[in-house]
Amino acid sequence: MVTRTEAPVDTYAEAMSQQTQYALLRARARQHWQGLVDGDKPWVRVGYGASGQAAGADAVYEALKPFGPDGTDQINLSLVGAYGLMYLEPVVDVIVPGANRVFHANVAPDMIPGIVAHYVDGRDSNPMHESAYAYSGHRDRYVGDLPIWDDHPANSNQTKLLTENFGNIDPHDILQYVAHEGYSALNKAVLSMSSEQVLEEVKTSGLRGRGGAAFPTGLKWSFLAPSQAPVKYVLCNCEEGDPGAFNDKGILESDPHRLIEGLIINGYATNSTHAVVFIRQGHDIPIDATRHAIDQAYEHGLLGENILGSDFSFEMEVSLTGDSYVAGEETAMMEAIEGKRSTPRYKPPFPAQAGLFQKPTNINNVKTIAYVPSIVATSGDEFKKIGTESSSGTALVCLTGHIKRPGMYEVAMGMTIRQVLEDIGGGVADGSERIKVLQTGGPLGGVMGEEAFDTEIDFDEMAKSGAILGSGGIIVGDETTDVVDLIRNLVAFNQFESCGKCFPCRLGNTHMLDVLDRMCKNEAKPGDMQLLETVGNNMKIGSLCGHGQLGYNPISSAINYFGEEFEKRFNGELEKSGPFGDGSMILPSRTRP
Amino acid sequence: MPDPIKFTIDGQEIEAEPGLTILQAALEAGIYIPYLCYFPNMKPYGACRTCVVDTEANGRKMTLASCTAMPMPDMVVETKNESVSELRRGIIELLMSEHPHGCLTCHRIELCGPQDVCQRHVDVTDRCTICPKNERCELKDTVRSVELDLRTPLNYNRRDLPIHADDPLYDRDYNLCIVCARCVRVCDEVRGDTALTLVSRSGVSLVGTSHGTSLMESGCEFCGACIDVCPTGALVEREYKWEKASRQVTTTCTNCAVGCQMIAEVNRFDKVIRFRGDVNGAPNLGQACFKGKFGYDYPNHRKRLKRPYFRKNGILTNAGVDEAFSAAATALSEYEPHEVAVIASPRGSNEDNYLAHKFARTVLKTNNVDSAHNFIDDLAVHIADRWDIEHTKRPIWDIENSKSVLVVSGNPTEDQNVLAVPVKQAAKRGAKIVVIDQRETELTRYADVWIRPRIGTAHMAVMGIVRAVFDATLEQGDYIREHSTNAEDFKASLWDYDLGRIAHYCEVSVEEFAEAAAALASFREMAVLLGADTVPKVRHDALVDAVMNLRLLNGTADGPGQGVYPLYFGANTRGSEQMGCRPMSAGSEMAARLSEIWGSDLPDLEPLGVREIFEAMRERKIKAAIVMADGVDHTSRKLGDVEAALGNLETLIVSSVFDNTITAKADIVFPAAPFSEQTSTVTNLESRVQLVRQASDRRFDEIAGWELFCGLARAMGGSGFEFQSSTDVFDEIRVSASGYEGLSYDALQKGGVITNGVSEADHRDPNFEITKPDYTPFASHGMYFAPGRVLHQPERETTLSERNYLNVIDRLEVIELHPDDAKSIGVSDDDIVAVNGQDGELITEGVVALADVLKGMVRSTTLFAELATYMEESEYPDPSPTVPSLDVRPVTVELVSSAAKRELAEV
Repeated sequence: MVTRTEAPVDTYAEAMSQQTQYALLRARARQHWQGLVDGDKPWVRVGYGASGQAAGADAVYEALKPFGPDGTDQINLSLVGAYGLMYLEPVVDVIVPGANRVFHANVAPDMIPGIVAHYVDGRDSNPMHESAYAYSGHRDRYVGDLPIWDDHPANSNQTKLLTENFGNIDPHDILQYVAHEGYSALNKAVLSMSSEQVLEEVKTSGLRGRGGAAFPTGLKWSFLAPSQAPVKYVLCNCEEGDPGAFNDKGILESDPHRLIEGLIINGYATNSTHAVVFIRQGHDIPIDATRHAIDQAYEHGLLGENILGSDFSFEMEVSLTGDSYVAGEETAMMEAIEGKRSTPRYKPPFPAQAGLFQKPTNINNVKTIAYVPSIVATSGDEFKKIGTESSSGTALVCLTGHIKRPGMYEVAMGMTIRQVLEDIGGGVADGSERIKVLQTGGPLGGVMGEEAFDTEIDFDEMAKSGAILGSGGIIVGDETTDVVDLIRNLVAFNQFESCGKCFPCRLGNTHMLDVLDRMCKNEAKPGDMQLLETVGNNMKIGSLCGHGQLGYNPISSAINYFGEEFEKRFNGELEKSGPFGDGSMILPSRTRP
Repeated sequence: MPDPIKFTIDGQEIEAEPGLTILQAALEAGIYIPYLCYFPNMKPYGACRTCVVDTEANGRKMTLASCTAMPMPDMVVETKNESVSELRRGIIELLMSEHPHGCLTCHRIELCGPQDVCQRHVDVTDRCTICPKNERCELKDTVRSVELDLRTPLNYNRRDLPIHADDPLYDRDYNLCIVCARCVRVCDEVRGDTALTLVSRSGVSLVGTSHGTSLMESGCEFCGACIDVCPTGALVEREYKWEKASRQVTTTCTNCAVGCQMIAEVNRFDKVIRFRGDVNGAPNLGQACFKGKFGYDYPNHRKRLKRPYFRKNGILTNAGVDEAFSAAATALSEYEPHEVAVIASPRGSNEDNYLAHKFARTVLKTNNVDSAHNFIDDLAVHIADRWDIEHTKRPIWDIENSKSVLVVSGNPTEDQNVLAVPVKQAAKRGAKIVVIDQRETELTRYADVWIRPRIGTAHMAVMGIVRAVFDATLEQGDYIREHSTNAEDFKASLWDYDLGRIAHYCEVSVEEFAEAAAALASFREMAVLLGADTVPKVRHDALVDAVMNLRLLNGTADGPGQGVYPLYFGANTRGSEQMGCRPMSAGSEMAARLSEIWGSDLPDLEPLGVREIFEAMRERKIKAAIVMADGVDHTSRKLGDVEAALGNLETLIVSSVFDNTITAKADIVFPAAPFSEQTSTVTNLESRVQLVRQASDRRFDEIAGWELFCGLARAMGGSGFEFQSSTDVFDEIRVSASGYEGLSYDALQKGGVITNGVSEADHRDPNFEITKPDYTPFASHGMYFAPGRVLHQPERETTLSERNYLNVIDRLEVIELHPDDAKSIGVSDDDIVAVNGQDGELITEGVVALADVLKGMVRSTTLFAELATYMEESEYPDPSPTVPSLDVRPVTVELVSSAAKRELAEV
């Protein structure tokens, strides 16, 4: 009656009778979970993802400590990942044995004594402050008449596949994941399915790469699977350097085991031997969570020799980049893992022929891999029921900017952008009039004007609109947003992050930035618009990797939707832009003015 | 051979070898596609994108970089259509926005000189006319081929970086760099040094060194490979930086036994102003080294000897050539055959060497004739005896195919530089490297097993490996049974070689022998680089026997990756040996043939080698000598006290390019013609005969070596010296030297030919050489100094100071001593000591570190960059032959200042 994990507790006898390692593990995990939920004390959990920490979860946790096991021992205390509704951080989530679960949002440290007193003594029948939610409709003396969490539009409009465990399990505790049917898909795959069957399921599911290029995942895997090489790699890309995208990191910091499970299945389906999770240096929370999770997986026989008693063996480790956006390009990523300067390689040879250390290799995005357990646990057909014909499954979008409810939301493919903005995001932020512009798909994606808001979230539909879904970041701009300045910022990012290898990207970005800079300072020269187009198109055809090939995307899509504004800028009819009003911008130190 | 791929480029039918890229196939077919980052012999890189082409295959149209794209059957490639030309122009326009290009887009480009007034008001720093590479700029040619517009709408950004002109030998001006990374790649991919790297990212990414250090610290080999591949003026040699070449001549470098093929650029004043590695040169594939790349220009030196001169009672008088010949003839005719000697030059051509020994043996009637740097001739001769076909004739770059490499007592990185390059490449590909040497050299850094036997015991160390191979039963039993007849006897004889005793004798652990055996014996593809720097002459035979036994055990014969490379000193020591200019007794097979050809009996005197000749001079047994001094290391101690020896002579006739310590003792001096002023042949360590082509005319009375002997013979009434040109001499060589049959200058014009000393028909299967172990101690007890030199010492801090506006290494070296030795000398850690030679001269000074070295050894490892400083600063006009090598020698160590006292003083 408390949480969604009301599955019956297996007894050890039952588990023993099934004679599988996994059954034993799950029995243990369920017992562990039951112990936490049905203990003798309230179980208090703090959302401790990056978003929570940024909002002050640290101070909240410190305030809770005196009541925890190290203090007066009135409550049990845990940390969990981020829930996704990030505007509500810091979140404190309380489970009292036998009662409904309560979320306290936007908690400040000074509210803590009151909250604890409410659950420990039951003295205060009014739950302390206005932004608390009851988990379900069940009413008891702790909940009172609090609004119901699942009825919240930001929750009710989501379709949760990847994020179902977010905020509900401790990312550092493998047993909590297993208690929620974690690793059951792996168990099913390695013990009862052949690798071809797994691959077939993934193909049937229609899953497409979530890293940006939307390449069919099953097809990609099938390039690697036939190779008989003794060492084969599957890599997972969490370079995620796009401004406004944080869903890969979100998965790693809130539910890392889902990724690890997916990656092992990926290895099984492609007969690979090693996996590397590649994370950008400095993303400390996801790095710690992933490393810890891998260690735990090894401890529990989920990695290493003869996984779960099968004859499949698999190794996994974490590798970090330096400070480089292009390291997220798949070949540059392999160079980085090899310890070299992360610059892209030319293709062919493709990674499936000669990848990491010249061995056959597959590279997939975190989200792509994280879908795999649910596909294998149910079936490819089941997965395909969600979403649209061409893009099955869900999309993990990150809403930021001038929006009322910034956060990370999982929506079914096919929902329109307007629905996401209005129903989930709650519309434009307070104090603004309207949403004027969306920037989607990262700095190599594009922008989108109001006329395109009815586009469905779908790889192909989005691409038609000129913007791309990409990594799922959506930055919302209101009517005050200066589009040319926004584009200038994106191009400055691209210029700064170019690896400097191929000439068109290294030099083209510099010159495009020069032109945009002139426009923002009302110093445009005749021929500048033409110059942007020429340089941009040369980059598109001439560049070595996607960074250069897509570098003109933001500009071309912006001219498509906001051509008039460009015209005005070009003619000097607008005020100088930029944060200082003089046309200048805050540049990263390496960028040339 | 797989079928060629048929496709079309610009309508022309192409048949490309599989594996070639579109660009390579096009260039082979004579179709030019502009490119910048591609370079032959290096992996494609795909950065500059100037080689873009439109392709259509299987109905798919794509625009691809042709340097990385492979052709497909029936592909249609268009390189010059409107869209792809426009794209290429756009990319080059971008490139020009950061490269000074004022003249590149100007129609007066052919007309303007450096000092002309520019009518377009282009800044001086943006003009091509003042660029050191103006006349030979590859970028310029590429840009002009795309017909760039005069005006470009892009802003020009000049980098305004300081020029790096404070490292020896070459300048780096990164304002001109286009970041094609050719230099970085050649340094890494080909040389294996990674002294250069790309620094920073985005629009400001650039070539540089790691952490911006000087080249002295970054591990630079100063080989100049980066300069040769640079398409712009960013990297240029400092000497003759702005000189323009009017023609170029392909020639052979005569600084070491590799015989690199170099392109000599000659200016309008007939001077050789530049040396570039020839990419098509078989021994070097475009590579060169600090000696060759930067030590070629001594013929231009103003101190060149111009005319013969006499020295009489300390007074010098100029003479005519004929006058000098007759004076020399008169002087020489006064001596008995055993009182005269002829020392040939290690740089001398085959023609010079041939006539030197013919002159000595037929006119002077002596057997005292040898090449000045002939220290290991007996190695090669003994290999030939053992293997019959003289050492297996594998080309240098075949080492890349080796799966293990054994380097014995040699330092190719310094003495035969380019030979070390394929060894490093093989190591990078996973080959096991075993080095047997007491000294720390560049190759010991690549070594999987580094065996450091006591000086003079290398032969037993190799036998130790042989024994360990047997002990681990790693030998190629089938091969041995098939090819040798005495395997069982040999196996039995190995019982005399007790591994424990060898280990004790060499002071090497038994485990190291086992490791070396495992590293070497797992594959038949074992290359051997055989030197004898630290092996006394009496042990040379034993060393060869041991090495050949090891090869036989491995089943190593003459297949790919199975070469033996004797590490000769001197450019043509190998050739002089083949010519016969070496200790050769009258009874030998070659002597018999020669006496038949020459029509005169060869003298029946005991033949002396070069070391023995100098010893005889010191003992006043030899009273007159002819010394060819060009390229002789007159500073070397390898021959003992050369000055004393020459000073004892009554008559010394010298042929030299410059005055030096040898000519200082001479009675008659002939000016020698250097390599650039004669056409001749030399033979490198692969036994490859190559042409040295005349690049410039002689201006004074210089004479080539063969001309000297012809003149002397004429003056002394000798016959058989009626040669008009070096070709005539070569005609006789072809008859007299085995392996040279069928060679001619015309044939050599197309490239060098590897000779075969003994005909293939004589090839017989080898047998093991059964020897008794030799445990005699090598030398008296005392301290020996084993100097080392490496490219890069990341574990030690390097400090630099400035001298004559150049960086020099300025640090106290570390002197490594065994704790017991330190105790007996009375020094301890951090004391400063001096290491003195036998004559009391200071060799080095440094701070003591007690280390794991053999008792009685003093070791000190310095940085390679000091050799670049030597090349730059040497007082000798021709520094290459005098570059100090790593000589092991007896020394004494004395305390200079103790650490304890220094500390006290500080307190």
